Amino acid sequence: MKHHYWEPPIALYLFLGGLAGGIMFLSAIFDSIVLPGHTDLFAMPVLVAFICICIGLVCLLVDLGQPGVFWRVFRTATSVIKWGAVFLVIDTFVSMIFVAAFLGDSIAFLAPLSALLKPIASPLLLVGGFFGLCIMMYTGIMISTLKAHSFWATPALPVLFTVSAISTGCAAIVLAIGGWPAVSSVESLEAAHHIHEILHVVDIVLVVAELIILLTMVLSFLGAGNVTAKKAAKRWVCGSYAPLFWGGMIFAGLLIPLALYVAGSGVASGVVAPVLVLCGGCLLRVLVVNTDDRAPLPGEERYMGRVANHKAAFAHRWNYEGENEF
Amino acid sequence: MTRYVMVIDQRRCIGCHSCTVACRTWNKLPLDIIYNPVLTEGAQGEWPNVHKTWTPTLCMHCANPECVPCCPNGASIQDEDGTIWVDPKKCMSCKVCVNACPYGMRDASHMESRLHRFVRKCSFCRDKRQMDPNAQPYCVLTCHQKARIFGDLDDPNSEVSKLIGSVKTERLFEEFGTEPQIYYIPDLGGKA
Repeated sequence: MKHHYWEPPIALYLFLGGLAGGIMFLSAIFDSIVLPGHTDLFAMPVLVAFICICIGLVCLLVDLGQPGVFWRVFRTATSVIKWGAVFLVIDTFVSMIFVAAFLGDSIAFLAPLSALLKPIASPLLLVGGFFGLCIMMYTGIMISTLKAHSFWATPALPVLFTVSAISTGCAAIVLAIGGWPAVSSVESLEAAHHIHEILHVVDIVLVVAELIILLTMVLSFLGAGNVTAKKAAKRWVCGSYAPLFWGGMIFAGLLIPLALYVAGSGVASGVVAPVLVLCGGCLLRVLVVNTDDRAPLPGEERYMGRVANHKAAFAHRWNYEGENEF
Repeated sequence: MTRYVMVIDQRRCIGCHSCTVACRTWNKLPLDIIYNPVLTEGAQGEWPNVHKTWTPTLCMHCANPECVPCCPNGASIQDEDGTIWVDPKKCMSCKVCVNACPYGMRDASHMESRLHRFVRKCSFCRDKRQMDPNAQPYCVLTCHQKARIFGDLDDPNSEVSKLIGSVKTERLFEEFGTEPQIYYIPDLGGKA
């Protein structure tokens, strides 16, 4: 049976898109509800989100077979990907304008532009936060609508992706808050410290939630899934993915950051834990995208096991248009 | 109305793979693309009562397809006669339809140049039927055992409607709700 039609760039995009959505969402919540009045603190996190979306979009384009017709992506309303593309484009522009509103603080010739954009920065962030939430949710929903794949077709997957995206967004804000391009005042530094403390608690909650959802999803597939899902879950729990699942995702990506957030201080909880959360989030997307098991047709596994795949030597040396060596 | 379907008589199939070869040759498919693999099951049973079963496959041209609504580009298209095909000019090869198909009947070729890959699939030889409405797909024409039977389900006098109305037929993976339009007359495997 053929596997892995979606290659690593797609997994990386799902991570980066979710990360950017998480940053926009949490920034909007903090700026409008938790601690209003310190919009400049979020200039750097939103810049990170903007860069993530851009890299993610490049990943998507790289994976396409005919990048020249990507503009048609908005054609079908029934397609989840269309809506994802809409959300991504909106958040690209929103984050770009938001960052431009603070670039003037550091780059002198952009000052007039920033002065013009600053009044709309806060409402703009709210719009970006809403579409950030949409991006986080769509990545999981898009994967879970592909019901041919038993391991993907579960409502737990969008929940897992969304929680993981908020959690990684939280970690990225911890790392990036309050930096360049905005010039910080003493009050905003105090506010940044305050937000840091809140983010720690938020990420503890999110990491615990992610741990519960992830274990519930994988173990319930193992116990109660259909044949295909069971086989995939077995690979995660005690098969070839087990070292990455238990060691990488559960231990290094969730349990260690959790311990560092709770007990650590300084660099341990301020840098190491968020970085581990980010790595865990990326690993989650890679493993999920690679678990694209489909129920085989009768005899399909044997057939596809014997057909040369595109990596076979003779297939590579075949000149499709004319002469060939064989 | 016309509704093209295929009946596959597994009692007649001898597993010669002629349909696969005919399809690949006439449709000039790249080396890594097979529209209609013939899958083998068996040998089953205990000697001397052993048998093999062959399942010739192709795109199921589902009445309720998974692959058409998921295509963001509008490149995956279902015609009024039920045929599902991909417009290579519109496809950007995001491969969401490839992942959506429960039967694994779509793929983009890796043999083509990196910037001109599009998703390929069986279209019941749509280009051939456009030139001659009564034309049959190449896999049907080449089958010397007459195991593949192609026709219009909405025409009560067609061979396919008569067969589907009179013989017990099965369809693959009906539980997905895709209503596949390839009807299999199962081989009873020597148990009959």
